[in-house]
Amino acid sequence: MRAECWNVGMMEWRIATGIVLLSIIPSFHLSAQHVSIGPQIAFGDYREVSSDLHYRGSGLGAKATLMWRKFSADVVLSKVKYKPKTTAAMADFDASEVDIRLRYYVTGPVSAEVGFINRKMDPEFEAQSVGAVTVGARMTYVLGPGVRMSLNGGLLFGSKFSGGGTTSALGALQLGLGITVDALRGRVLATGDYGFQRFSRNTDDGSGALPAPIQQSLGRIGIALAF
Amino acid sequence: MPRSTWLLALPLLCALPPALSGQTVQNATLRRAQQAFDNLDYRQALTIALGSLRERLTGFERARAYELLGFTYSGMDSILKAVDAFKQVVLIEPERDLDPNRTSPKALSAFQVALTQILVIRQLRVDSVNFIGGQGAVGIRYTVTQPSRVVTRVTGGGGTLGSVRIDSTVANGQINIRWPARLPSGDPVPAGNYNVVVEATVGQNSFSTSQPIRIMHGAVDTLPHLTSLPGYTYLPETEVPPKSWRPLGLALVYSGIALAGTSALSHGDLGSASMREGGMIGGGIVLAGFVMTLKKPAPQPARGNILYNSLLREQIARRNTEIAQENTRRRQQVALSVVPLPRAGGGR
Repeated sequence: MRAECWNVGMMEWRIATGIVLLSIIPSFHLSAQHVSIGPQIAFGDYREVSSDLHYRGSGLGAKATLMWRKFSADVVLSKVKYKPKTTAAMADFDASEVDIRLRYYVTGPVSAEVGFINRKMDPEFEAQSVGAVTVGARMTYVLGPGVRMSLNGGLLFGSKFSGGGTTSALGALQLGLGITVDALRGRVLATGDYGFQRFSRNTDDGSGALPAPIQQSLGRIGIALAF
Repeated sequence: MPRSTWLLALPLLCALPPALSGQTVQNATLRRAQQAFDNLDYRQALTIALGSLRERLTGFERARAYELLGFTYSGMDSILKAVDAFKQVVLIEPERDLDPNRTSPKALSAFQVALTQILVIRQLRVDSVNFIGGQGAVGIRYTVTQPSRVVTRVTGGGGTLGSVRIDSTVANGQINIRWPARLPSGDPVPAGNYNVVVEATVGQNSFSTSQPIRIMHGAVDTLPHLTSLPGYTYLPETEVPPKSWRPLGLALVYSGIALAGTSALSHGDLGSASMREGGMIGGGIVLAGFVMTLKKPAPQPARGNILYNSLLREQIARRNTEIAQENTRRRQQVALSVVPLPRAGGGR
């Protein structure tokens, strides 16, 4: 049990917690630093193995963003309670996810980003817990005064699943869309994020490789305070 | 009297009244002589005028009596006597002049001959002028009737100046000189009343005349600082870009890519992808893009105008620095005003 938990990213959990704490400590002053943090409402769609295992749910989340010079980082925590949408899916489960991204502004609207995700399921074997490193890019565009939107995409490397299985190099990917609207002279932000993940996972119980894909669409809407 | 003499005398009648302007003849004998001249009775005018000279006359009346004799002798073709009479006129009133439009040529030529035979300085004029000490000069001009050594001096000033020679030359005719109104040390002469004295000497003859002047000191005007350059105005440093559909277009593109990507990347074994989450966020983005399209665009910095204003401010600052330096210099200067004063009498 201990080894499996480690496999799906206990270390990532600790790093994520550390980053979140660093982001919200008021004495953490850096020149040209901007910090925002706030709660979100999350709603998602989760599918696994086949169309028969289909879940939908909602929950809460939190998002923190730190910007410093050309660097920026997002830390997103969410916990969604998924409920079966098909008869084959029998039980509810909770999906707790940590998504951490570190970005570096490259040119124009483009930033490069790396990070990792870790999603834990509770009860543990109702769905697959997963952990992976993300590598991708993000494009940001200012729609108008105080309104920014972004589109991001990337690959998920080194995926590990609680039930075992592997993905090919291009088999796990993610896509995202986001919007931020300033209010109260930028002190309060309205945020909206969409993230799509697909893992083309294959398992092998000795009889050959069997496809067991995992797919999640997660939307988050919230507000944040900016410092 | 010959007819030609009568004709000659007519212009003289017109020439006399201006000579009498300002002062009037009080002596009765001289008035009778004038009346006889007016009646073209030259002999009687001559007799009476000569008689008046034996009486007690003022300087003006004496000059008038000689002038009457000059005209009368001219009318009687006694040119030499006319010249002598006019010489007496000029000696008494050196500034006396005849109007060439209203005087007979004979009388005029006799008058001019008389001028060349005596030494006088006439028409001494000092220009009324304002200038900054050291940067201008006072114009002085006069006429010398004979070639002579002419010395021009400035005296007075309450003893601070003493007597300063400003010009010395041998000349004849009109002389123009320029006096910078400076002391030998180079400083402007102190304020006060002065006399410009011109002395002409030839042989034993000499003549001098003077013109009083007043010199006043004042502060030199300083230049005001500039707040703008004439013809150049500041331009707005921001400008509102034209309204554009670009925000909505890009919102549609970004949302479309996300939703199409979700659909395309969805695993086939898991059924059709859920568009609920992406649709909500994408819809929000499209709505925001639509609002931003309708909204007046935020003013953007106008780089060209900012540069132009910066250059303009730089130019004004540079000019004001120059003005400040110029004003500092001007505060150390003195503005001189030179005004000629009325003269008390003629020269000797």
